[in-house]
Amino acid sequence: MDYFLYPGCSLEAGGSHYLASVEAVADALGLNLIEIEDWNCCGASLHYIGGTELQTKALNARNLAMAQKQGGHDIIAPCSSCYIQMIQMAHEFEEEPELAAEMNEILAEADLSYSGGLKVRHVLDVLFNDVGLDEIKEKVVNPLNGLKVASYYGCQTTRPYGEYDSVESPHTMDDILEALGAEVVPFDKGTKCCGSGIFFTEMENCAPLVGAILGAATDGGAEVISTACPMCQMNLEIYQSRVNKMLHTEYDMPIVFVTQLMALAFGKDFKQSALDRNIVSPKSVLQPSA
Amino acid sequence: MATKAYDKSFREEVYDKVDAGEEIKLCMQCGVCGITCPLRDEMTYGPRQIWSLIRAGKRDEVMNCSDIMLCTSCYTCKVRCPRGVKVIDVMHGLAHYALQEGIVPRENTSKFGKFFWNSIYKTGRIDETEVPMRYSMRRGPIHGIFETLEMMDIGRALLSHKRMHFKLGPGIPPSKKIKGIKGLKKMLDKAEAMSPGKEA
Ligand code: SF4
Ligand code: SF4
Repeated sequence: MDYFLYPGCSLEAGGSHYLASVEAVADALGLNLIEIEDWNCCGASLHYIGGTELQTKALNARNLAMAQKQGGHDIIAPCSSCYIQMIQMAHEFEEEPELAAEMNEILAEADLSYSGGLKVRHVLDVLFNDVGLDEIKEKVVNPLNGLKVASYYGCQTTRPYGEYDSVESPHTMDDILEALGAEVVPFDKGTKCCGSGIFFTEMENCAPLVGAILGAATDGGAEVISTACPMCQMNLEIYQSRVNKMLHTEYDMPIVFVTQLMALAFGKDFKQSALDRNIVSPKSVLQPSA
Repeated sequence: MATKAYDKSFREEVYDKVDAGEEIKLCMQCGVCGITCPLRDEMTYGPRQIWSLIRAGKRDEVMNCSDIMLCTSCYTCKVRCPRGVKVIDVMHGLAHYALQEGIVPRENTSKFGKFFWNSIYKTGRIDETEVPMRYSMRRGPIHGIFETLEMMDIGRALLSHKRMHFKLGPGIPPSKKIKGIKGLKKMLDKAEAMSPGKEA
């Protein structure tokens, strides 16, 4: 099965282990990922400071137009922020003909055009609906053996459209984790915000948000937190030591991508699953099953 | 250009010039958005009250209020608002408009966001090494060195875990540009000219 891949800026840097694990999983499942040529940034969650709404839409219209030049496959956008920006443009393009015409006027500046119709998909959506739990279970050669996982969706993975999962109480990642042999622990912060794009610059205000997420996962008995968003992964992981300092806590919680756990369960090694790129190392909790 | 003299028609100013500004006409003041913001405890008013201040023409209170830049883009309001008001888009629109009017609602986020957008405009992408480097120099080189040292452990960890590209300093080496950068710039200029409040 062919898909377009929109990696986005984060997966080329801070989220490089997400990209590597998405590729490892695609390889194991026989999904063919075709990168959108010469893609640009989606605007992410700070676009509005320097850019107008229409400019951000233009960024996303260009990516859709670039993809359409290459064919008609569904687009996988693993980063939740990219996913939101792109799916929003794709939706509005279908629903608002006036806006669609404006977009094509703007695209014409770069000799591009978009006629609509492309589907934007999250990794969880493709794994759950196209691949399916049965096939995932079949591919598991190295079950996670009851690894205790808190399933953390964050904000932008399932909101706002609820295309493939409930916006208030999503379950796709929980089900996938269980299919891999993990034990999903009770966790009431699964869709709470980590501070997203303003975490870094508003750390004093946002540290308690991250603290509450780490705390709830710890209370639930989690050994790792699983996520499907590179920004959540960054905020929860690389600033964990800062958050500990600010809140006088001692969390030492590995934050892994669901695709990293999946790659491992599919028989890829620690390095192929890019688990060596996690700064709070999950090695000690994953070693027994690795 | 809007000035204080237009205070009484601030509501019209927002409808005309702020991205998604007209959305607030749909609001029925139920207050759901105000309790959904993750940073509600840090906010003075929250979205619902900001809408009523706009309706009451309170330009200074709204434009100088840091709430408009404490939106984390969590999209909860977009899911829960019973009237389908694009709360998040109005908050973003207000933050953009305040900056355009020379008001800085939150200094750090404003600065970082500017470098962020410049990276997109100049190269087509976000360079995750360049943007924080430029940001850390925002108060001059001395402060920059201290701030860089303070972040050193995180930078080193990212580098050694293959999650960051090495740079000696901002622009060394320069960030890579997408091939279609010229076309993208033209598109962004055109989109800006077509945006509310930007028409010449
Ligand atoms: S949730 Fe919607 S209707 Fe209710 S106060 Fe907020 S914007 Fe108004
Ligand atoms: S998206 Fe922004 S305005 Fe809406 S609930 Fe979240 S923080 Fe509040």
